[in-house]
Amino acid sequence: MRVATDVGGTFTDLVCIDDGGIQTVKSDTTPPNFEQGVLNCIEKSAINPEQLSYFAHGTTVVINALLSRKGSKTALITTRGFRDVLEIARGNRPDLFNIAFNKPAPFVPRHLRHEVTERLDYQGNVSTDVKLDELPAIVEALRAEQVEAIAICLLHAYINPIHEQQIKARILELWPEAAVIASHEVCREWREYERTSTAVLSAYVLPTTNRYLGRLAERLSEKGLQPSPFIMQSNGGVATVKGTLSDPITLVESGPASGMLGAASIGKIIGEENLIALDIGGTTAKCALIHEGKARITTEYRIEWDRENPGYPIRTPVVDLVEIGNGGGSIAWIDEGGSMHVGPQSAGSTPGPAAYGRGGENATTTDANLLLGRINPELFLGGEHKPDWDSVNTAFGKLAEQLGGSNEDVARGVIRIANANMVNALKLVSLNRGYDPRDFSLIAFGGGGAMHAVSLAEDLKVKKVIIPVNASVFSAWGMLMSDLRRDFLQTRVENLNETDPKLIDDKYADIAKSALVQCEQEGMAPEQMYVERFADMRYLGQEHTIKIEVPDGEITQESIGEAIERFHQTHNREYAFKLDNPVELVNYHVVVFGKIDKQPLAEKPTSGRTIEQACKGTRRVDYDDHGVHDADIYDLALLEPGMRFSGPAIVEDPTNTIVITPNKNVSMDSYGNIHIEMEG
Amino acid sequence: MTTSHQDNPYTLEIIKSALIAIGDEMFAAMSRTSMSPIIYEALDYSVGVTDATGDLIAQGNGTTVFLGMIDSLVQDILTKFEGNIHEGDVFISNDPYEGGGTHLSDVAIAKPVFFNGALVAFTVNKAHWVDVGGKSPGSFTTDANEIFQEGLQLPTVKIFEKGEPLHSVMDILQANIRMPESSMGDFWAGMAANNVGESRLHDLFTKYGEATVFKAMKELLDYGEKMIAAEIKNLPKGTFYAEDWIDDDGLGSDPLKVCVKIDITDDTFKVDFSGSAPQALGPINNSRTGLVSAVRTIFKALTNPKIPANGGCFRALEVICPDETIFTAKRPAPVSTYWETMLYAEDLIWKALAEEVPERLTAGHVLSVCAFILAGTHPETQQPTILVGPLVGGWGAMNKRDGLNGQFSIADGETFNFPVEITEARYGVQVDQYALHNEDGGFGEFQGGKGCYLDYQVRCEEAFFTGSFGRFKFPPWGVDGGHNGSPNYVEILRGGERCNPPEIHGKPARIPLKKGDIVRMVTATGGGWGEPAKRDKEAVKQDLKNGYLTAQQAEQHYGVSASD
Repeated sequence: MRVATDVGGTFTDLVCIDDGGIQTVKSDTTPPNFEQGVLNCIEKSAINPEQLSYFAHGTTVVINALLSRKGSKTALITTRGFRDVLEIARGNRPDLFNIAFNKPAPFVPRHLRHEVTERLDYQGNVSTDVKLDELPAIVEALRAEQVEAIAICLLHAYINPIHEQQIKARILELWPEAAVIASHEVCREWREYERTSTAVLSAYVLPTTNRYLGRLAERLSEKGLQPSPFIMQSNGGVATVKGTLSDPITLVESGPASGMLGAASIGKIIGEENLIALDIGGTTAKCALIHEGKARITTEYRIEWDRENPGYPIRTPVVDLVEIGNGGGSIAWIDEGGSMHVGPQSAGSTPGPAAYGRGGENATTTDANLLLGRINPELFLGGEHKPDWDSVNTAFGKLAEQLGGSNEDVARGVIRIANANMVNALKLVSLNRGYDPRDFSLIAFGGGGAMHAVSLAEDLKVKKVIIPVNASVFSAWGMLMSDLRRDFLQTRVENLNETDPKLIDDKYADIAKSALVQCEQEGMAPEQMYVERFADMRYLGQEHTIKIEVPDGEITQESIGEAIERFHQTHNREYAFKLDNPVELVNYHVVVFGKIDKQPLAEKPTSGRTIEQACKGTRRVDYDDHGVHDADIYDLALLEPGMRFSGPAIVEDPTNTIVITPNKNVSMDSYGNIHIEMEG
Repeated sequence: MTTSHQDNPYTLEIIKSALIAIGDEMFAAMSRTSMSPIIYEALDYSVGVTDATGDLIAQGNGTTVFLGMIDSLVQDILTKFEGNIHEGDVFISNDPYEGGGTHLSDVAIAKPVFFNGALVAFTVNKAHWVDVGGKSPGSFTTDANEIFQEGLQLPTVKIFEKGEPLHSVMDILQANIRMPESSMGDFWAGMAANNVGESRLHDLFTKYGEATVFKAMKELLDYGEKMIAAEIKNLPKGTFYAEDWIDDDGLGSDPLKVCVKIDITDDTFKVDFSGSAPQALGPINNSRTGLVSAVRTIFKALTNPKIPANGGCFRALEVICPDETIFTAKRPAPVSTYWETMLYAEDLIWKALAEEVPERLTAGHVLSVCAFILAGTHPETQQPTILVGPLVGGWGAMNKRDGLNGQFSIADGETFNFPVEITEARYGVQVDQYALHNEDGGFGEFQGGKGCYLDYQVRCEEAFFTGSFGRFKFPPWGVDGGHNGSPNYVEILRGGERCNPPEIHGKPARIPLKKGDIVRMVTATGGGWGEPAKRDKEAVKQDLKNGYLTAQQAEQHYGVSASD
């Protein structure tokens, strides 16, 4: 019996798979003791933890600690002359015309940033030996300040970590219980500010993560759980607790990554390997592109970054996704120039959309869907509450007064604008990277994914929409489809036209060898491990790189030639030109996977029920451009594999609403996924 | 779909957002493919879309300096090439006196966009190329006395005609620049950006039809005007005045006076620079488009910094200045460090209104871009190197908080400093420190932000340093009793040692350097706001603990002893 639990902002989800099928449970999230929500879920599900062979867990503990500034008091040790790198940062001001711009404060104040005499040159040679005798005074000062965590980042440590290792070892001699993270342990890429920031934020969340995972493992073990839990990482894989604690920042996008991974997994099962995945929640929508069964991974990640704020970089592998402030709770508002916008401000769950009747005075996307008949008022909020129509009409009335037209006109406008925002995000991950959406299917999940997917697909011109089974607990489900995964990047610039392939082969082998040793120490079994290799490449003279998969086997002139050809093609696809310039390899990227046995996805049984029996009747639904229709309303629970019907229709259950426009052909596959054909 | 549906306000809203998104997308395409750090790190470039008449529809910016240049270039093309603009043409220009120019290093590439055979828009980008020829590597220099020393002039010419490259123009271009691979790489990056914009515009026109897209463009401009008009109503009304001094013209002139008179009414904003110094012999001259860009920047900061800029935003703005002043130079005046003067146009308006609009403005900041060129040889690869960059410095205090430490000037924006690790690898210099300093200045109830030290040690046998560090004699201004900040300057440490007397420069040109010499680049601390005596004593103690103040400064300016 295999279980995954995912802690979200509002709910904690549990998915359990065994031979008998799948069970899902939702329970409230319980801050600040998030492990309690997990235990509540287990209790509610009546699962006996002693019988679990596998337990995966997705957590927001890291991102919460960062965003709420509830991490530990952290110090930083740098190369002499460079303690201010963290504070100067990159000096950029995304809010170009705002003279009152406010620069984000560093996570470590200046008096806790100490310098040590040492120096490496850019090739990694020691030019000044590290003066370890400077450390006792520093450690003493940090103890006096009651520092809880220490980050170390030295210049060029990405290429040679020797001085960082010596300093860390010396600190641990002086202060054995200190929580210390050296930059090379979390990032082996160049650019000292980004690496310093990564090390500092890692140290900042380390004690919190350590305490949380400790409590969780302990409470689960008290309940009889035998296997050690696996923790969902931002790179779309899981890691052991030990592995996680050596690099805690890898948890930063734990939840969103597993949804995207789930999409890739289900795509493999049903033979759809090119997918645009969309997850619409209460406040945001997230999307990612899956090409040939794989999601893109990037280390160019930042928190608190937007059009106005530079944010803080974290160079850790994360699934490359675009997130925008548009979800079910996004508020519609009118600016001074008379233009309507939707989001990024969200009504959240309190007060929530106007229809919740909890004092929310603003019209939201959810209210618009309700007003247009797309959401069934009887099933609103899982059928537990009746919508507050007075409050909805007042909210839309205010907007209609300013914009003209009826409340329904405004509601259609709200959906149009929300959809346009989401289409722009979907284009960012597809068209803008040179992928033609016509070669892709859109897979939509999360609370609002199914409601908007068909309209978005029309705009985007994808061939098909897929609403996966268990769409509302999809992130947790994705974890059960995940393998163990650890990423190892190393910056070392090679001109591929000149470098001996043997040297490159040796370098990959070296990285892979130490990666495998590390993974084994963290609890992966050697027989389950396999390796994939990537190269971040660019034209000589360029700065930014493109990640290219390196062919398997020994690296020879031919395989380098093949990788260069892939690079030319990818560059041409993404930027519409290629050059004759020599090509450089900038980062070696080795991924170690640990294969985990998974339960095959169970087929949904059939009972011989007819499609008519699954239809509950009709309802007036406003489809905007497609007109107002008496749509057939299907009960999702009653649909069975092989059933077919066409729009205008709505498929619904208490957690999900699929809106299907006229003339679209719909079917359910043998696993219970809904397919909506966009062509023909 | 019916036409009436296409025209509804929500659809127009969606087209407007899409037009703005095109600017963003062109911007990203350029950054990702460029060959020069000044583009991919400093993001010293801008992209934009205009309508068929040259009115600015959307602009993506890495810096603020280009805000008046995209539209005026297109207007110049429309005049100069009337009847001779065809599908597949591409124009190139760096003319400082016409066509949206600044200095020769900023090269613009413009592509007319056609739909169903008719001209419907232009996609444009303008970027700082690392070299365009001229008397010194990096092209801009502080001691030129005519434009011919500053590089190759491209007075708005075609480089593609009807889809075919004009190889003769390309050959001339490549033969006249020092690093043709790099600059031609940037040319192709610019072409890629324009093509992305063109293709997205085609999608919009195909989906919604010309009439609807044109209507959305017009609405977008009107919207810009309306949003700004609402903000002008909130500004103080009346006449305001400020004057200041530019250190020198780079050739050792006396300080040059500049001044502005501002008239604000309920619906207009008029600035008049009459009375400012005549055009100078040295290269600090600014062009009229540079002046318009500068005024647009501060005007936007004062009114609505958030909304995307378009031509409509500036309809209430009037800029007056006679010809042949330091703000409005004529051919063949040298202009290669134009930004020093251009920024004074912004700073004068800023200074005149700081106390009137304290929620939007700070005390004086670093102001100068502090641009430098270090030309040498990579000691390991023996390849010639030209390191060109801007520097971060201190920003002024506001009336409720201290100034920001180590930020790029208002001229820059989404500009990134060069990582030390990449600088050392790519250019072969050794970086000895990158640190905030606590030189005297900026004291106040709220303190000016700290400037920085950046030390480059030369590792090759011979190198040359050029730098333009304005506000070397006249540091950033304080407000309401707050002290002035500290100056920008460069110090050369020969053999790593301070000279006697110290070798200090403001606008040095091609200073020869030897292996082991250190160039210490020092940027300004911003101006303070309010009397130092009013500063919270706890804040002073915290500054002492953090090393932002020396014990002596705390004692002398705040009466706080380090031993308390």
